[in-house]
Amino acid sequence: MRGADLEGRVKDLENAQKAAMNILEDFGEERARFEHVQMAVFNILEDFGEERRRLEGTHSATLNILEDFDREKSVLQNAQRATLNVLEDFGEEKLRLEKIQRATFNILEDLDEEKRKAEAASEQLRERIVLLRQADEEIRKLNEGLKRRAVELEAINSEIVSFSYSVSHDLRAPLRAIDGFSQALIEDYSGQLDDQGKGYLRRVRHGAQRMALLIDDMLKLSRVTRAEFHREGVDLTALAREVAAELRRANPEREVELSVDEGLRVQGDARLLRITIENLLGNAWKFTRGRKPARIELGGRVHPDGPPTYFVRDNGVGFDMAYADKLFGAFQRLHDAREFPGTGIGLATVQRVVRKHGGKIWAVGEVDKGSTFHFTLSKEAT
Amino acid sequence: MKDKVILLVEDNPDDVELTLRALKKNNIRNEVVVAKDGVEALDYLFATGQYAGRTTAVQTQVVLLDLKLPKVDGLEVLRRMRGDERTRLVPVVILTSSKEEQDVIAGYKLGANSYVLKPVNFDEFVEAARQLGLYWLLLNEAPPATA
Repeated sequence: MRGADLEGRVKDLENAQKAAMNILEDFGEERARFEHVQMAVFNILEDFGEERRRLEGTHSATLNILEDFDREKSVLQNAQRATLNVLEDFGEEKLRLEKIQRATFNILEDLDEEKRKAEAASEQLRERIVLLRQADEEIRKLNEGLKRRAVELEAINSEIVSFSYSVSHDLRAPLRAIDGFSQALIEDYSGQLDDQGKGYLRRVRHGAQRMALLIDDMLKLSRVTRAEFHREGVDLTALAREVAAELRRANPEREVELSVDEGLRVQGDARLLRITIENLLGNAWKFTRGRKPARIELGGRVHPDGPPTYFVRDNGVGFDMAYADKLFGAFQRLHDAREFPGTGIGLATVQRVVRKHGGKIWAVGEVDKGSTFHFTLSKEAT
Repeated sequence: MKDKVILLVEDNPDDVELTLRALKKNNIRNEVVVAKDGVEALDYLFATGQYAGRTTAVQTQVVLLDLKLPKVDGLEVLRRMRGDERTRLVPVVILTSSKEEQDVIAGYKLGANSYVLKPVNFDEFVEAARQLGLYWLLLNEAPPATA
């Protein structure tokens, strides 16, 4: 087979080649057409590319714009954020400020309240200052009045002193003449006078002597009033015992049970207190005449809410309480001068002394049952 | 004792009379010179005025001096007496009605030797005169005359 097949095969091959060539030839044509289309496409594509480039340019421009916008936006956003932050910060600040403001308001309100209070206080102060100024003016006027009064009193006092001096000196001289020459008549002319005449002269003398006694007691009373006052510690017990001893010496015939409380110490003027005790014990001594035994007691009592009281009690003739207010008046007497001699000055003097001490004196008594004289020497409780 | 002179300085004639009577009742017979005021008293003491030329050999034993006197009062008489060598030591008894404390103090401050109240009651006056005479004329030794 080889020869015939080969020829066939070569022929086939040639035929295939020829066919292939024909195909190829056809394909060539096709290819040219394709190329042409491709070219056209290329052209189109080229146009499109341009278009695309333009588009791309536009796009990129857009992008640029967008990008720019974006930056702008982020700037804006940043700005916005910053603004917000600022606003936020501002809000906090505002809150703080509000708090501060509220606190300030509170403070202001408090201050206002304070101010109102201060104003009220200040108003009160102003009122008080006005009152004080008025009081001051009052005091000044009173002081002036007092100064004037002191000068007047000084003048009156010096007048009283010279009056007392005059009474003391000048009133006694004529009394001495009345008494002395009455006595001279009795002595030198007794032969020419009957008993009645001598009796009259004795009455003249008695009158003169009684007047002298009244003058002496008046002067004592005025001396007590004028006396300077020196308050000091005084042993009232010792003072009373001295006075009692003097009374016993003057009337040794009298039987008197006289007791003085132990330890009576007072604050007062020793001289004036002596006058008081002399008068009170002297009165008790006098008005217990005829009592057997006569009893006189001087004592003191302390009180929780008042000054201590002192008393002189006797079992003498006493007095009617209806006349109690007359006891302390000058020249007031409740008893017959012939039975119980006296001038009626003693208790007035005692009352002045007690008042000078700032104290009080009062008496309790009953006719024939005795008397008790109570007194204080100050206003304050001890 | 009779040569011992008493000088009574007293302006009230009643008091002069009563004082002389009280002295007489006590048998005090000394010469009593009466001066009616302070000037007369000083004239007598210093031998001036109406007493000029008076011999001062006989010294006054005691002066009874009232305080309230015309012209020159008792305290001034006392002051002048105590300021003069001739009378500095002469005993002076103030014999007065005044019980006023300031008079008593002033009297003693000026050098009075005694201060005696003239009592109203004549019996007491006589007793006072008796005691004064006893003390100042008999008991008391007067200072020697310096003149």
